[in-house]
Amino acid sequence: MNGKSMHWVNRLAVLGLVVGLTAGFAVAGVAQSVGGQAYSTYVNTPVGYSGPSPLAVLPAISGTDGAEADAQGSTQTIAGALSSDFLNSITSGEIGTAESGAQSTASAASINILNGLITADEAIANVMSSVTPSGAVSNADGSTFTNLVVAGVPVTSGDGPVAPNTNISLPGVGYVVLNEQIPSGDGVTSSGLTVNMIHVYLQSLTGGGCTLLGCLPGVLTTTGEIIVGSATSSVQ
Amino acid sequence: MLQEHKHWSVVPGLLVVALLAACNQDRLSPDRSLLGKPSLKERQPCTPGKWTGGGRIDPTGNRLAGNYDNADEPSGGQPAAPDPAPYMTGKVTFGFNVFLGSDCVVTKGEIQVNWHPAKLAWHVSIHDNVDAFDNQPVSASTFDDNSGGRCLVVGLPFPPGMTARVNPQGGFEQVQFEVCDNDRGGAQNGRINGFHVDAMRWRATDHGDTGLTYLTGGNVVDHS
Repeated sequence: MNGKSMHWVNRLAVLGLVVGLTAGFAVAGVAQSVGGQAYSTYVNTPVGYSGPSPLAVLPAISGTDGAEADAQGSTQTIAGALSSDFLNSITSGEIGTAESGAQSTASAASINILNGLITADEAIANVMSSVTPSGAVSNADGSTFTNLVVAGVPVTSGDGPVAPNTNISLPGVGYVVLNEQIPSGDGVTSSGLTVNMIHVYLQSLTGGGCTLLGCLPGVLTTTGEIIVGSATSSVQ
Repeated sequence: MLQEHKHWSVVPGLLVVALLAACNQDRLSPDRSLLGKPSLKERQPCTPGKWTGGGRIDPTGNRLAGNYDNADEPSGGQPAAPDPAPYMTGKVTFGFNVFLGSDCVVTKGEIQVNWHPAKLAWHVSIHDNVDAFDNQPVSASTFDDNSGGRCLVVGLPFPPGMTARVNPQGGFEQVQFEVCDNDRGGAQNGRINGFHVDAMRWRATDHGDTGLTYLTGGNVVDHS
């Protein structure tokens, strides 16, 4: 093959690459990937462990495709830590040419955490993420508690939301974050959000003590956690 | 020519249906063929493509409520709710992914709907052009609604619609699913009366009808 032929071959190769990439972007649409996950309960405490359950994870989506995953559980009991029923997790997502998105929902009913320290008739975590040519957004609309009571104090009456990242101390136990929201992405081409409706952080005082030279404070150390109603969605 | 292919493609399905009807003595799984399966001529128009979404609705059974999509409910010839009675009310969460073929038959799809007050969960699973729970094709329709959006109805005509597994009882029920993507090209944070502009409706022969209801949260996306 002479130099002139190589020249044309190179031009054709470059042209093919450009056409291929253009076609690829057109097929890929406004997002390269979407993600979603949901689970009703997670327990990791000194008295018991149970991984995310029932867990629904959005399968990998390629090209312009979509998928849905769901999981259900009738009851969940970790003695001394958590009991609940009607456990449901759903996640779905899609990559499209004009819009891509993911949405996840996790719920649990008849919730009883740490022998009645926290109770609720139900908690629903609901998140969505979407990206269009005008930008990327996520929100947790539809995330609510039904008759939530924390340490004997009613937090919601009937079904209602709680302000994001509401922190309530649980003396001798640790603290709980209600409607814990963990955002991600730049809001332009990417966006994501994780919502944990109830996230209990168990803490113990470690170290510290007194000597002839004086007293040193102890350090609060997280020794476990309980999560009820966790939903995640993301686009990028 | 194409129409001939369509008719021929139905023949194996009808044979399967006949065999299933003959074998289905215990009635554990439904026989939708006895309820009036739609012919190809009866099927509604649709645009091939895919629909995906999920979220939550809070139907109240009150047409004056801010989340009742009165404007779009009659679109596409859909009947006024509740059909069947009564209204299903309270928290409903859902997720779905549906692919439509050119002949208005769902080629594959998954639909999960949870009705929280009753602690009931329905699941529809469609593979290889048939409902996994009764081996029959599922017809769908897409149409413009009155607020500039586009809607999808899966399970036409209703009844029999399509067959869903019901948990925790483990039984089956005839259902129909409808969603409307009303924020096409608009801001995904758009609101009507504080609710999302997309809407969802669930009809179940033994439990009632939510009516077309704006989403409290979530999203519906038409990728057709």
